[in-house]
Amino acid sequence: MFLQQVINGLTIGSVYALIALGYSMVYGILELINFAHGEIYMLGAYLGIIFLAFFTAIGLTAYNLPLALFLTLILSVVFCASYGFTIEKVAYKPLRNAPRLSPLISAIGVSIFLQNYVMLTQGATDKVFPHLFGASGFQFVSVRMTYLQLVIILTSVVLMVALRLFVRNTKMGKAMRAVAQDKTMASLVGVNVDTVISVTFIIGSGLAAVAGLMVAMYYGLVNYFIGYIAGIKAFTAAVLGGIGSIRGAVFGGILLGLVESLGGSYISSEYKDAYAFIILIIVLLVKPGGLFGRAELEKV
Amino acid sequence: MKKVILFLLILFLFSFGCQKKEDVIRIGIAGPMTGDQAKMGMDFKNGASLAVEEWNGKGGVLGKKIEMIISDDQHDPKQAVSLANKMVNDGVAGVVGHFNSSCSIPASDVYNRAGIPMITPGSTNPQLTEKGHRGVFRVCGRDDQQGRVGADFVINYLKLKNVAVLHDKTTYGQGLADEFRKFLRSEANVVFYGSIVQGDKDFKTVLTAVKARNPQLIFFGGIYPEAGLLVKQAKEIGLNVNFMSGDGTIDPKFIEIAGVSAAEGTYLTFSPDPGNIPSAKGFIEKYRSKYGETGPYSIYAYDAANILLAAIKEAGSADGRAITEKLHSMEFSAALGNIRFDEKGDVTVSPYVVWVTKNGKFVEYRKP
Repeated sequence: MFLQQVINGLTIGSVYALIALGYSMVYGILELINFAHGEIYMLGAYLGIIFLAFFTAIGLTAYNLPLALFLTLILSVVFCASYGFTIEKVAYKPLRNAPRLSPLISAIGVSIFLQNYVMLTQGATDKVFPHLFGASGFQFVSVRMTYLQLVIILTSVVLMVALRLFVRNTKMGKAMRAVAQDKTMASLVGVNVDTVISVTFIIGSGLAAVAGLMVAMYYGLVNYFIGYIAGIKAFTAAVLGGIGSIRGAVFGGILLGLVESLGGSYISSEYKDAYAFIILIIVLLVKPGGLFGRAELEKV
Repeated sequence: MKKVILFLLILFLFSFGCQKKEDVIRIGIAGPMTGDQAKMGMDFKNGASLAVEEWNGKGGVLGKKIEMIISDDQHDPKQAVSLANKMVNDGVAGVVGHFNSSCSIPASDVYNRAGIPMITPGSTNPQLTEKGHRGVFRVCGRDDQQGRVGADFVINYLKLKNVAVLHDKTTYGQGLADEFRKFLRSEANVVFYGSIVQGDKDFKTVLTAVKARNPQLIFFGGIYPEAGLLVKQAKEIGLNVNFMSGDGTIDPKFIEIAGVSAAEGTYLTFSPDPGNIPSAKGFIEKYRSKYGETGPYSIYAYDAANILLAAIKEAGSADGRAITEKLHSMEFSAALGNIRFDEKGDVTVSPYVVWVTKNGKFVEYRKP
């Protein structure tokens, strides 16, 4: 049972990690907690359902399922990335020099707007994602893993490694690290701060879209409210790992998933959501900057 | 002087508003019209609307047209109480609703204070009619009857010994699960008893813990979104056991969420198929031509509205207390058959039977 719970925890933990990356990257650069990020994840799930329905209607799903899924993924990522880009331009950029609280309130506003926008256009009832894989999977000793769980974990790992390589080794990655350190200095040495911020939002939103689509496939049930809980959990993961740190977001997400599933099975499943926050409180008491972060007292 | 004129003007406006109220008879329809249980709420609304339209077509009741006040409680008890107060202020003669026991119970206090009768088409928790409110009625059965039918089926028919019991912590879900557990007596062991959170999507943790105890059947007290995910995820972790639930799960969305193959063979306790009741035939035809396929509670909402209106007619006034007395004393010929309420407000005859899902459809289970 222990190994089975570890697999369950890893699956959901890697989804938390993907969303947490978006929170952490934006915070690292703008020191803004982007509360609308959970809604991007929810949009990703909805767009996945819409595009897949479109490909099913034109017969592509029946003809070539992997291709249809791949195109669905690409389109969801592109749409969510443009949502992320637009949100930054409309709701955060005009407030860049405003007091710290203003963009935060703007973020909450965007979140409420997106939730209601989806509720009004897509309806308030649950949407069901088509059952593409059934319960197919494989048995490994005493552990049963579905192919979908494997796909979720592998996709997350690949994306996280790619992100790390991008930030470490490319020119844009270097510019992002520079802006995160000091916006003014970075612009003085010729870094285009606006472009860097846009790229950050695009990457973060793209990752959230992937998470949204994978969760829609995994649970098969989507509603306009899923971004709220997922956003809070991912935010917790980001703070747990040390907000602003990419390594921390990944680690925090996976830790959160494991704590939830192991706590849920060995202590009591009724308080599943509480364990994450208990761990968070303990970590913040012992190490206020999070596991991988630096302690800076002035941050919100 | 100006102030006095203004004051009189306002007073005049208010009195105008009051007078207008008397032109119609208002009844409240309450249920979850939006949110993840919106399907049930819409079934309520459609069933009750059909009844009201028929009455209005015959000239209304007491010579006045009937107006429905549709209230969306979003299966939230707080919302249900505030809407109950609003409907009382709007001067409703009676209320058809609510759906969730957790909404009906607190809302019933509000109606009781105002002396307005409520008839719920779908709240099955025993507590609702055990509070001693005179104006509270239900046209459906009670969880203690339902839990007993489920437990008897497991013991005597399936002959299973080890059972896991889960619920969603709501008044309805936990109530049903507890009644089921109680009626298992010592005939079967409850190897796991636990709860999940309504609205959660990941139940693999709790299911993996259930799997470790090797039950032969999982009983779930709750509503279809969670039931669907439970069934689906149980299959995904290789937990292939019988699944049983109550009337909150009997909705086509359950099969859609779980998938046809995973939902196959799920046992559900519910009242008999209206399709087999001769008196329901006319209702089903009219409902189909207007709103499409009937939901599990459409007919209950239709009957609840008809009974309420018949009692208003018999009482000869829209006074809640007079209507309540008529509801207690009359026998109603409804689509479900003849209905009479006992002292508590429960129906005197409430048959529960076991249903099973077969090829993506719910069918009444017939012992071979």
